[in-house]
Amino acid sequence: MKVLNFNSQQCERVRRQLDAYLSNELLVETTSEVLRHLESCESCSHELDARTRLRKALRKAADQRVPPEHLREVISRRLRREQNGFFGEFRVIPWAVALASLVLVVVAAQQGLRLERGRQLVSSVLAIGVSDHIQCAIKGHNYPEVANPQDQLRKKLGAEYAGLLPIIQQKLPGFQVLEAHICQLPGNPRKYIHFITRGQGTILSVTLTKRDGESLPVQRLLVTKDFSGSDLYHAKLEGMSVAGFETDEYFGFVVSDLGQNEILRLAAAIAPPLRDALDRSIGTNTSATPVFLVDSVSSDLARKIE
Amino acid sequence: MFFRPKMHVEDFEAAAMPHLADLYRSASLLIRDSSEAEDLVQEVYLEAWKSFHRFAPGTNCRAWLFKILFHRLHHFRRRLIKASRVETFASPGEEENFMAEPPVPQEIRDEDVLVALEKVPLDFREAVLMADVEEFSYREIAETMRIPLGTVMSRLSRGRKLLRAELAEVARSFGIKQRGEAAGQGGSV
Repeated sequence: MKVLNFNSQQCERVRRQLDAYLSNELLVETTSEVLRHLESCESCSHELDARTRLRKALRKAADQRVPPEHLREVISRRLRREQNGFFGEFRVIPWAVALASLVLVVVAAQQGLRLERGRQLVSSVLAIGVSDHIQCAIKGHNYPEVANPQDQLRKKLGAEYAGLLPIIQQKLPGFQVLEAHICQLPGNPRKYIHFITRGQGTILSVTLTKRDGESLPVQRLLVTKDFSGSDLYHAKLEGMSVAGFETDEYFGFVVSDLGQNEILRLAAAIAPPLRDALDRSIGTNTSATPVFLVDSVSSDLARKIE
Repeated sequence: MFFRPKMHVEDFEAAAMPHLADLYRSASLLIRDSSEAEDLVQEVYLEAWKSFHRFAPGTNCRAWLFKILFHRLHHFRRRLIKASRVETFASPGEEENFMAEPPVPQEIRDEDVLVALEKVPLDFREAVLMADVEEFSYREIAETMRIPLGTVMSRLSRGRKLLRAELAEVARSFGIKQRGEAAGQGGSV
């Protein structure tokens, strides 16, 4: 662009102000000064036209960029999801969150207490099995190095319980039944059926004793299921692992110093058939009182377990 | 935090949605990829909704949304720069003879302006868009882009000059192409 008479200082000053003038950012007096100059200066007036034209063209071109139709809807949907989302992204009523936490803590504490009481109850029942095993089999050493003959074991168990012997022999592979008898600790009227077996380098007892109306607590967190889906309880007491189960009238225990998982595995194998056999025999012999043979036990076994 | 007033998304939409077209327009002129521009605008709205309780009713909602847009945009760009050492623009000299300003064509096609605008470095393009398209005041631009007022003015001035130079270049090459096509139709080059 050819510009005549341009070297004037006024033109230079006005052009420096054209940007602000275009943006309407000039003070009123400066604006009128610029306007006065523009009236008299064709060159600067052309320059302003050019800049105004460019500005308008930019504005018009920019308006070509319109948001796609779905955008508004997408945003709307996301906003609503945000509002209704999980705790509204933790912004909706923090009071509710606080209250819920408090309730959770209280419930957890109650559950914890219940669980602890349940554990104590389980331990007190399982302690019977552990005690019977320790007193008779371990301390009393009431078993021979070579297994007693089958007919002798059957005789000791009596007609009522002789049928359980094959179950123990079959369901505990790798274990040999050394001794089986009806046992009673001195000073304690309670009797129990006791199978003493040897396997995996250790002694393992299976004992069965009357429940007398006692029950183990029904709590999900305390139990493992056996193969039939019934509950198995377990504990580690006095260095022994013990697994316990219930039948209609008996508590059954599997006790040894093996690991907890192994004991549970063995208990899961024998609990269902023992349960079947005992419940069946009771069903057919409800009036018959089992003949308990009191075995010889050491005199120092006067520990009463409740 | 426990006594934050409950916000209704409908109130937010009533205040913020009218500015959707403006936000998208600027976003799409500052980010090359249109789907990324869409994502950016969505993010702006979600972020604005989350901090809507801090927005004072009756104040400039549009400026507030643009502030979030630029905050996000700069965050987005920093990530890009980290990911792939994008080109850094040599800042053109501030002092330049205004006599050198090229002519502005009488007829300007939209696509030429958009092509020219894309060639203007981002800092300057942002200033030009905010002033000439979105028509924010210098003060609002300074607050939105978090730069001093003086920087707004120098970037705007520089940005307009660069746009004008790029447009002249685009128009010139278009003219050459047109002449070439016309000559081609005539059977000789």
